[in-house]
Amino acid sequence: MPSDSHGSPSSVRSTRGKDEPVFHVRGLARIYGEDTAAVTALAGVDLDLFAGELIVLLGASGSGKSTLLNQLGGLDSPTHGTLLYRGENLADFDEKALTSFRRDAVGFVFQAYNLIPSLTARENVALITEICPAPMAPEDALALVGLSERMDHFPAQLSGGEQQRVAIARAIAKRPQVLLCDEPTGALDVRTGITVLEAIERINRDLGTLAVIITHNAILADMADRVFTLSDGRIVNIRENQLRAPVSSLAW
Amino acid sequence: MSLLDRKLFRDLKALKSQAIAVALVMACGLAMMIMTRSLILSLATTRDSYYERFRFAEVFARLKRAPNSVREELAAIPGVARVQISIAIQVTLDVPGLMEPAVGLINSLPERGEPVLNRLHVRAGRLPAGRTAVGELAVGEAFAAAHQLKPGATLSAVLNGTKQPFRVTGVVLSPEFVFEAPPGAALPDNKTYGVFWMPYKELATAFQLYGAFNSVAITLDPGASEGAVIAAINRILAPYGGRGAYGRVDHPSHRRVDDEIRVLQGLSVAFPLVFLGVAAFMTNSVMSRQIALQREQIAMLKACGFGNRQIGLHYFKFSLAIVVGGVALGAVGGVILGYRLVEMYHLFFRFPQLDFILDGRVLLTAASVSALAAFTGVAGAVHRAVRLPPAEAMRPEAPARYQPALVERLGISRWFSPSFRMALRNIQRRPVRSGLTCLALALATAILIVPNSFRDGITYVIDFQWDIVQRQTVTLSLVEPGPARAIADFRHMPGVVWAEPFRFVPIELKAGPITRRLLLQGLPERGTLSRVIDAYPQQFTLPPRGIIMSAKLASVLQLSTGDSVNARVLEGREREITIPIVGLAEDFAGIACYMEIHALNRLLLEGDCISGAHVVVDKARWPQFLAGVKETPRIAGCIIKDSLREGFRKTTAESIGLLQKIYMLFATIVAFGIIYNSARISLSERARELATLRVLGFSRGEVGAVLVGELVVLTLVALPAGLIIGSAFAKGILTAVNTETVRLPLVLTAENYAFAVLVVASASAVSAVFAARKLADIDLVSALKALD
Ligand SMILES: Nc1ncnc2c1ncn2[C@@H]1O[C@H](COP(=O)(O)OP(=O)(O)O)[C@@H](O)[C@H]1O
Ligand SMILES: [Mg+2]
Repeated sequence: MPSDSHGSPSSVRSTRGKDEPVFHVRGLARIYGEDTAAVTALAGVDLDLFAGELIVLLGASGSGKSTLLNQLGGLDSPTHGTLLYRGENLADFDEKALTSFRRDAVGFVFQAYNLIPSLTARENVALITEICPAPMAPEDALALVGLSERMDHFPAQLSGGEQQRVAIARAIAKRPQVLLCDEPTGALDVRTGITVLEAIERINRDLGTLAVIITHNAILADMADRVFTLSDGRIVNIRENQLRAPVSSLAW
Repeated sequence: MSLLDRKLFRDLKALKSQAIAVALVMACGLAMMIMTRSLILSLATTRDSYYERFRFAEVFARLKRAPNSVREELAAIPGVARVQISIAIQVTLDVPGLMEPAVGLINSLPERGEPVLNRLHVRAGRLPAGRTAVGELAVGEAFAAAHQLKPGATLSAVLNGTKQPFRVTGVVLSPEFVFEAPPGAALPDNKTYGVFWMPYKELATAFQLYGAFNSVAITLDPGASEGAVIAAINRILAPYGGRGAYGRVDHPSHRRVDDEIRVLQGLSVAFPLVFLGVAAFMTNSVMSRQIALQREQIAMLKACGFGNRQIGLHYFKFSLAIVVGGVALGAVGGVILGYRLVEMYHLFFRFPQLDFILDGRVLLTAASVSALAAFTGVAGAVHRAVRLPPAEAMRPEAPARYQPALVERLGISRWFSPSFRMALRNIQRRPVRSGLTCLALALATAILIVPNSFRDGITYVIDFQWDIVQRQTVTLSLVEPGPARAIADFRHMPGVVWAEPFRFVPIELKAGPITRRLLLQGLPERGTLSRVIDAYPQQFTLPPRGIIMSAKLASVLQLSTGDSVNARVLEGREREITIPIVGLAEDFAGIACYMEIHALNRLLLEGDCISGAHVVVDKARWPQFLAGVKETPRIAGCIIKDSLREGFRKTTAESIGLLQKIYMLFATIVAFGIIYNSARISLSERARELATLRVLGFSRGEVGAVLVGELVVLTLVALPAGLIIGSAFAKGILTAVNTETVRLPLVLTAENYAFAVLVVASASAVSAVFAARKLADIDLVSALKALD
């Protein structure tokens, strides 16, 4: 149970090396299938991620970004390696502990939005806030992503960007420790992409949430504190930005 | 309402037609179960409380005549609680408005007070006063209803050779005559046979029986041995012409009610279980599909921190909603139909009051059984869904592996259109699912066979019994067995074309502990009127010795051809004899045994004697014939074949017929439900694929053909299998409802099969049309958008 490590949200960006990392990853590998059909999605990844950071994962399609993110979020378990969340090994978590880890600590944003089609925007958010310990009001979460006007619309009545913003509102409404976003702008045009990223950035800044964003658009890297580039399941490059560029300034 | 519940509610609304189809099928099974089980409970409860309140006796005996003082001897038998002695005499009646003579069984009412046993319930009017007035009698309700006799009506009866007028004072019911049928007859004939009551003194005096009795009813102390009491009674009554005492098992009215309960029991289990099984299968396929469609939603819920239990519960609630709908519908349907059937039973079971009693326990059991069935159906799908790691579930399902269908490899595929080939491959790709759908379709066909086989069985029995077995117009019985030459008198009666004699002797057959009392019928060696038919069905030539009995009777006695049966003659000089069984007769109503008439007379050590004659009457001279019958005092009874046939049609046939109609309705609903559901599910499974085909330029018709083709192939495979399964069902259920009162032969007609095929085919066609229309509604863009 990670609840004991429930740190108070800080508006100050912590510097690397001082605090205990949120995620401590060593030699993380994930191999799908067996024998001849085996696919190595992750081939030994080492990294430490800290509270308040905004991380961008870059890499070609199939390089293992989603696999890594899913590992961080406790959606899948590693084949080899260690993955510690605030000092606790996720591999030791049983189904119940994993469930509460996901419920209390992690906010997910999926590329395919994954909204419940039969629930309105507000209800999609409320669905999650109902099961969290200290959520914000669904209306507030939707306001944060600029969707106050469309709260009672069903997913089918919303554009892709709006649906993605609902998904972000759903993810942040629980005030997560970690916000994991898998190509949140993948299906969106530039302008819409920017509103979505601004929403993520705001959460990261205001709530001190560790945010990990997957993208294959290298330009987005400027908004991050650190940028990891993956290739064939390994981290091949780490870049540190001294200054984060505001999202609106990105030359997309 | 929690948000997951709100999602549930909206998902249900989107799936409503399928949910309704499943709920309807479940409702049919439940309604049938609740209806039949409640009827059983109603009949049994009503009967038991009626017996109790009106003190229905437990042991009965008839005798020639014994002085009333013998009553004390009977009462002294250890184990006997109460004794009621009375007179019961069969007389000929002349009822206004009835051309033929009728037969009445007149029972005496005690001189003082109420009968100790077999008390009467006065439905209308009052009991005859006795002391003050003469010429009064009370009439049993069935006969009264058949002739619209109300208190104050009049009729005449021939008492000991003199015709006397009587006034009806009341209409009554007796626990002894819940079912009023002539002795030995399996079928009622309320027009020509009735039960009456009149004061002891008047009846006894008319027959010179005053101070004596010829009928005994007895109840036992708790724990007393019925067998021992019967033996004691027989010993005491033997010198008085005792005809052998018997218990309730052999009591004709009691037995008839029992048999009806047995028929209902046969129907109450097998059929509903099939329906409920089908409903469970449908719930499973609907839920599996729903869960497959919501794979990504489930993954998201898990990613967001919903536990397996919460998610599992969500889908269980989904099926629970269907079950609750089905149970509610089924309960209401079962109760309504139960009320309707109870009303029908009023027509031929005479209880003071027969109320519908809902069998709550069955309702509960049935509801939990179907809930359990639905849940087990869903459990697998839910388990698979929640076990999937969310990361996995988030990815679209792996594309299915297709291969050329088996039939294609036979090399005949060049005659198949691409659409049809796709349909074949779809079937082969998921053999289990296709197999289950096929099984469901086969069951839909099968359950359609059963009700119609009942109908055809009844028609066959009616034709068989009254065209092949009994070819006489009328059966005339003599007051007392008379010399054989009386047959000449019958042949000379006005209008009579031909007459053949018969000899009826009441006997008791014994095989080990099993006994049956019935009439042994003596018939001419190879008569043309009342014939004995074997299983093939050919007429028996009655051999000079030996007995031929109903196949059912033989199986009850656990005997067969070649064995010998012990018989006790219950008339005249009482004797024990052993007769070889020389053949088994095919008959469907009641149980009977036959002998060649001379052989029978030899066995009885009597000269050539007849009890009456079967006669064929010229319809043109029908009134003259009936007038002649009424003028012949020697003729006690006159049974008109056509009115027996009518009686059968109105009672047994009607009760089975109503059940048959209800079952038919249910079976049709179920067949439609299954097929519609299958079509919807394969539409949903193929929606994306079909939309893609449309985008690629296939016409709506070609795309529809893939879907319809699959359904057609499955239906074609299912139909013959269904006909076979249905025939087996029919056989099983007919065997289950096979009683000594009525048996239905397994008759499977081409019409029956054709009807089942027609219903299934049209259900398929309607479902296909519906699916094709849904197909047109598929929004191509959104169907593709879901692709990534
Ligand atoms: N469930 C799975 N089964 C088999 N292979 C998988 C599975 N998930 C991912 N892979 C493979 O692992 C590799 C990395 O996938 P992924 O992490 O989704 O890449 P990215 O998100 O960087 O595009 C790919 O080659 C992909 O095909
Ligand atoms: Mg990816």
